[in-house]
Amino acid sequence: MTIAVERVDEVVTALRTVLRDEQILTSKPDRYNRARVPAPFPVHRWSERLPDLAVLPTSTEEVAGVVRIANDLRVPVVPRDGGTGLTDGAVPLRGGIVIDVKRMNAIKELDLENRTVTVGTGISMLKLNEELGKHGLIYPDDPASYPCSLVGGRIGTSGWSLIGSRYGHTRDLVLSFDHVLPTGDVMHVGDGIGHKISKSSSGYQLKHLFMGHQGTLGIATEATLKLFPKPEAELSPFWAFDNYDDAYRCVGALARAGVATFAGAVLFDEWKVAYLRRDDEAYIPQPEDVRALVCAVMYGYEDEVRPAGRRLFRIAKEHGARYLGDEISEGDWAARHDRYATPLHGRTKTGQVVPMSWHCEDAAVNYTNLPSVSKAWHEIVADLRRRTDVFDDWGMFTYTSGNTGLDYLTEIDVGIWEQQLDDRAWEMWVKAKRDIAAVALAHQGSISACHGSCREGEVDLVPDELGRGFDVMLDLKRQLDPNNIMNPGKYLLDRAYEAGDPA
Amino acid sequence: MSGDANDKIGFRYDDQYTPPEPEQVSDVAITTFEHVFEVDPRLMERWVLQQQFPNWDSLRIMNSRGDHLEWIHRHFASKVVTGSELLAEVASENEGAGS
Repeated sequence: MTIAVERVDEVVTALRTVLRDEQILTSKPDRYNRARVPAPFPVHRWSERLPDLAVLPTSTEEVAGVVRIANDLRVPVVPRDGGTGLTDGAVPLRGGIVIDVKRMNAIKELDLENRTVTVGTGISMLKLNEELGKHGLIYPDDPASYPCSLVGGRIGTSGWSLIGSRYGHTRDLVLSFDHVLPTGDVMHVGDGIGHKISKSSSGYQLKHLFMGHQGTLGIATEATLKLFPKPEAELSPFWAFDNYDDAYRCVGALARAGVATFAGAVLFDEWKVAYLRRDDEAYIPQPEDVRALVCAVMYGYEDEVRPAGRRLFRIAKEHGARYLGDEISEGDWAARHDRYATPLHGRTKTGQVVPMSWHCEDAAVNYTNLPSVSKAWHEIVADLRRRTDVFDDWGMFTYTSGNTGLDYLTEIDVGIWEQQLDDRAWEMWVKAKRDIAAVALAHQGSISACHGSCREGEVDLVPDELGRGFDVMLDLKRQLDPNNIMNPGKYLLDRAYEAGDPA
Repeated sequence: MSGDANDKIGFRYDDQYTPPEPEQVSDVAITTFEHVFEVDPRLMERWVLQQQFPNWDSLRIMNSRGDHLEWIHRHFASKVVTGSELLAEVASENEGAGS
């Protein structure tokens, strides 16, 4: 608790002027449930990350009212959507009020002619697409947390989509949104006038500024999204290779082929295949000489997908690929949309099964640097594992971020035995995260393509990555959030208030 | 209720807790029913003990996963193009080119 008990009462009393009693939650279960995120953290320190209370607003006006009160009373505010992020954006570091947006989940307007939908940001893509499917439409923002992440969280983190090489990522798919600033003021942000415009050259391009800030610049409450026809056909072949180098060359060739229905390609390295062969029923029976995998995905009309698919099969064949079969190709791709439902365990060095939480460090890396980054990252995790059984290397994926094969979401999955994550192991992990980020920067990459970079460890290098741009971040933060109430403690933004008068 | 041994209602403990004889499929895994893989029990003796499931539950979990994946396919696209068909078409192109 960072607010004294009597101040909680003061805050609750003030909140009752804008919310009903049942929208204000102060019980332990309500607060604990809203402190939970997937990224592992030492169990004995969980109490450090509790909010003092949570609220469940149902409208932009209510969110604005809560933020205005918080700003007046100098109480921290942390927006929470699905709580599925991997860089702790939704974690309160200084207590305060968690604004849980999940009740703002209505579909406000479906514009079939302009192909847009306007929604409350508390809706999940799965639920939205169930409705859109009735009209033959889809909103193709597709994270690995697809069934449980929410539109607002995708805006706050500027999310990355599995099929973004075909349809774009969250920044491309969100046209505009209502946004509550840290002072409680409300603005509509998008290209130019916003709303349903996809390209404007009028004024500063503010939309990107208010996406990916991890809740440090306010809260998106209502968004207008771009829609596509629901694909008629899907194709997701998986190919096996007996070495990484051939698979690497193949994934590059597939991504550079310029096939219009290409929605993404994925490269699984040798460590990932070894992990799957331990614990994934689809891979356990695979021959021993399968050492790397490539998957390509296409969506579109069947008469587009079939010839495009043949082209990709030819490319794969030229690179020595072996098709893994329909069952594994179709099943594994379907499972990629829903990785958060997977129960997880890892192994001690002696091979015994232990319960482990999944963590994933990511970066944006150019194609030509993938092998070097992969090698360096595995060495970092191998060093951790040599010292303790708390960490287990679950291998690496690289996913295309775009349709030209330029850069890849590169991620290393690490099993973490959270029950054994003591202070010593946590320090080892934070250092490893810092080292992983440093490798990305040394290869002209970005610390994150997807997750964000505001967690302990990697965040230390954000000023190095952004250079003068980080100073601009500090200036913007100070200007927009004069009292540092919006998700304080994240992204080293406290530095904005250290030198001089914040007013 | 009749006491008929063939009565379908009822839970026969011995039947349900007698899965097919396991086969070792890798250094770390065994299989019982088709598509049902388990960690080798020797690797679940120290930190996590292996649970025993009745057969119906093992099969339910396996089948539910199949149902879920099928639902996801339908959710994202109206149909799935089968890779093996395209592979055969590409192979026949090559045969044609070589003839």
